[in-house]
Amino acid sequence: MDTSNPAVLVNADLLRSYVGRRVRTVIQVIRPDAGGLIGRSTDEKQIVVKGHPPSPLTTFIEVIGVADTTQSICAEIMTNFGDTFDTNNFNQLCQLANGDFRHLFI
Amino acid sequence: MKRIRVHVHNLLQPSTICRRFHLEARIEIGKMYASQFDGAAAFSGGGFMPSQATQTADPSPSVFSKNRDTQTLVPLTVKQISKALLSNDDKVNFLIDGVDVNNVKLVGMIFNKAERVTDISFVLDDGTGRIDCNRWYQSFIVVHEPVDTKEMEAMVDGMYVRVHGQLKGFQGKKQLVVFGIKPLTDFDEITHHFVECIYVHSYNTKLTKLQPSSSNQAHMPSSAVSTQSYQTAPSNQFTGQYVADGLRGIDKMVLDYLQLPGSLARESGVHQEELVKQLGIPLDKILVALNGLVDEGLVYSSIDDCHFKSTGNA
Repeated sequence: MDTSNPAVLVNADLLRSYVGRRVRTVIQVIRPDAGGLIGRSTDEKQIVVKGHPPSPLTTFIEVIGVADTTQSICAEIMTNFGDTFDTNNFNQLCQLANGDFRHLFI
Repeated sequence: MKRIRVHVHNLLQPSTICRRFHLEARIEIGKMYASQFDGAAAFSGGGFMPSQATQTADPSPSVFSKNRDTQTLVPLTVKQISKALLSNDDKVNFLIDGVDVNNVKLVGMIFNKAERVTDISFVLDDGTGRIDCNRWYQSFIVVHEPVDTKEMEAMVDGMYVRVHGQLKGFQGKKQLVVFGIKPLTDFDEITHHFVECIYVHSYNTKLTKLQPSSSNQAHMPSSAVSTQSYQTAPSNQFTGQYVADGLRGIDKMVLDYLQLPGSLARESGVHQEELVKQLGIPLDKILVALNGLVDEGLVYSSIDDCHFKSTGNA
């Protein structure tokens, strides 16, 4: 059992407070970029992801990696999450998981 | 707390996908309540008493038969499991939020899958931590059951799965003995699982505020129920089981911590802030628990009003 390296559930807003830490988030892919891709977070802000995306790429992907700036993530793992995903639920989960119920996650 | 509960309910929006998961969650939670009621009807007295269970020559069968009626499937994160305490009376079961936890549900990613002769082992990473899992083959003497091998063959490293299993402690480490594993097809289930963990945690900890422990003790048929017991006989009230376990939960956690060899050895006792940090419970609840324990003569304040020690031996 190892809880030493958790990945914090974040959206673009919360990403700002976790620079340098391991994070995970789900984004909607906007377009591929040099060295990765550009996506829209569940709170409608832009996030840059650096890494090798899976191919073929679905509309939503989960990115797990280290936040290197307030708006970008250096991805370790990217997983296709399909073409349908409830972003509103995920967004509220991020707020709960970093708010009153932090102790269940980090 | 009410505000948070409403907030959590709002999360379960009426989209068709979430409605399906909400239904599944309700069925599972419904089973939790149902098993509490069944226990209440069938076992008022009887083999439910922990003192009887521990007095039998071979405690394990009676512990299992008692547990089968109170086993519920609890959705958890690995972080919650890492903080689970061993319940004192049988040293087999774990306690989370004051509720006996035996069968758990987890959602996460598979890593380090290794197929061995008698079992398949892997690590499940749900983002809050990693836990070792084991899937024993049904029959390893003759030929592997085809159902088992097909189920596990489909599992690949890096795949998201839903796992049902039993929590086991082995040499101080917690492990999961897996009896059900399914790949995720709809990734809203990840969101739903974490929301469910929040809801169940919120429900279990809320009950500790609802009723004082003394009113439930009055309903116990046997007078042998001490603060050591967790599988207390259910009271006539519907939420009796949960409440009794819940409130005893925080008192018990505080008492357990104060009865740890490290705590007992300290002349000065344990500061209440340390209890807050170690147990992850807010100060006001810790103070309520401490006051209750002091009233019952189990704990006393040592060097000052903020330091406490346990009166009895562990």
